Amino acid sequence: MAFTILDGGSFLSTGAGVKINIPSSCDYFKTWNITQMPLAPATPVVVMADWFGEKFGLGQTAANDGLRWKKSANTSVLNLDTFATSTASDGFTYIKTVPYVEAQAANAITAITAASPAVVSQTNTYADGDIVRIYNTTGMLQIGGMPFEISSVSGSGYTLTGLQAVGFAAAATAGNTRRISKYAAVDPEVLYVTEVTKASSAVVRFSVDPTRYYVVGMKMRFSIPASMGMPELNGLTGVITALNATNYTATVDIDSSAFSTFAFPASTTSPTASLFATAAPAGAYTSYNPLTLVQTGYDFVKQPFHSGEFVPYLFLAGGAQSPAGASGDQINWMSYKLEV
Amino acid sequence: MALGITNTNNMAPELPLQFSEDLLSTPMYNLIHSFGCDMHFAEAHIGKTTRMSRYERLSTDGGQLDGSGIDPAPEVVVRSDIDATMEIYAKTVVINEQVTLYENDKVLTKFTALLGQWLREKEDLLMRDLYSSSVSYVNATGGLNGDQPSEISRNDVNNIERILLGNDARTMLQSVDAMNKFNTSPTRDAFIALANTDITPDLQNVSGVILKAAYPAQEGLRPEEYCSISRFRFFVSSKAAKIPGASLTGATVYTIPMYGLEAAAKIDQNSYSAILGYRPPYVVSSVAQNSQLYAKFAIARAITNQNWISGLNVTQRL
Repeated sequence: MAFTILDGGSFLSTGAGVKINIPSSCDYFKTWNITQMPLAPATPVVVMADWFGEKFGLGQTAANDGLRWKKSANTSVLNLDTFATSTASDGFTYIKTVPYVEAQAANAITAITAASPAVVSQTNTYADGDIVRIYNTTGMLQIGGMPFEISSVSGSGYTLTGLQAVGFAAAATAGNTRRISKYAAVDPEVLYVTEVTKASSAVVRFSVDPTRYYVVGMKMRFSIPASMGMPELNGLTGVITALNATNYTATVDIDSSAFSTFAFPASTTSPTASLFATAAPAGAYTSYNPLTLVQTGYDFVKQPFHSGEFVPYLFLAGGAQSPAGASGDQINWMSYKLEV
Repeated sequence: MALGITNTNNMAPELPLQFSEDLLSTPMYNLIHSFGCDMHFAEAHIGKTTRMSRYERLSTDGGQLDGSGIDPAPEVVVRSDIDATMEIYAKTVVINEQVTLYENDKVLTKFTALLGQWLREKEDLLMRDLYSSSVSYVNATGGLNGDQPSEISRNDVNNIERILLGNDARTMLQSVDAMNKFNTSPTRDAFIALANTDITPDLQNVSGVILKAAYPAQEGLRPEEYCSISRFRFFVSSKAAKIPGASLTGATVYTIPMYGLEAAAKIDQNSYSAILGYRPPYVVSSVAQNSQLYAKFAIARAITNQNWISGLNVTQRL
């Protein structure tokens, strides 16, 4: 048996995790932090890291682990241990199936404000654009189990742009989250509806940024349980005429001005009030306007049904003591395969 | 021990082992996610995206002529285009010549069969992923486990029937007529429901369930079928969809797609739906010691009519 270098590359770390696609799978993976390698940093850093695949049997790397070559504060001396060793830091995770649910301990929320947008208080290591599923909520049972895209992330909290909770009776006082993959196994995927305006062209807000999955011209079919209000929208199909990545909204060609008001049921009605409102992909409306030269229905990237996320890939956690490094670090990587 | 007798203690068999020609079964899970979907075919050399189109029906509002000679307002015909991208999947096994040389079994034949099984299993999972990702599910609330969604209940199943019938979906399976047999019940023409084997205790507990053994006739039933509830016949697989940690309390949520005719499509690439191949040792290895078997297939998948597919999110109780 011999190792073959499959692929290699480098990236400038933003401090966030990095996904490396490995189409033909991988048996060994290595990273070097070129920036930190020659330094004696003031705080501990990982300058080199190794990951071993399942062909190594008992020696394979567990999820969120790997070997780390670490420099302690103010020294160039290398210490070799694993990411799981105390003091633990995030390492490598090899993803073979999607949707991926991050293997992590339940992450406790201390509060979700009844505001628009809702703000979550939680000690976390998330990044802007991550999607977390919120569950075990106390005080906001009506959102328990729903995934949300998060923004304005700090170590102590983040914003749920997709949740306008000012109409909720009370704030949540507890809950848990688990990070999930940004794409379902197949896209375009079902999205969770959190708000619908009453207008000649309804504006629909989702729990995640819809521009990641949908384009103008695509159709959506709405499924609205009676407990969410606006039953007139249930079962209707609309064409998307505009998308807004800032507000997580889509405008559809459905006149909802005379509809009932869309609203989450009261927390006290859970778990018997049926949830959630969703919108599912229903094809596309193909058109061409010769005056404006605008053409819809011919986007062959997002519009067709296709695999949501390419697997397998290796996820490199970000941070000074993780394989993807801290912001500004130059990271080199190579993937290897055991070949016959 | 009797002296002077030649027995197996002093004369052991030269070969104390024989190979049974009857191989044991390779485990295979129920393949339930492909039947019930429409088959389409994509030709080669015309791109990797297949477009399926449906003309929506015309409005039946108005239409009466009042004799004034004024024509009715024309209606713009609406077409929905459903696109699906072709994807190719492959698996390979590399075999050293010493395996084929020394193995008692005909390994190349068996490995080819294994690759064939992989091909159908992978295809089944891909169709499962389509149903779990791109369909609106309704949370079950009629159960008793206190979670959101709850375990499956009769009211929840009836609600999905109402949704499908309200959207003019057509049933998939014919009725099983009543017969003069004790403890049997006829089943109506039915939609299909696909469920994980984890929830079979809850399925048995649903009011009005007819287990498969209680159908009046067993001819033609698939082994994957489990029961009939209301207007649905349930098929189960250990690999049917489930989402960990997705309920109100963080329990596993099981998605049950429930659908009628022409709700989903599987598109085969012509001449590429199931390819099994062999690369001889002189190609694979410089000293001609390793050969290679491979399987590959192309598939595209799509939900072709969201009005004719719905389903339930449920959790476990029993």
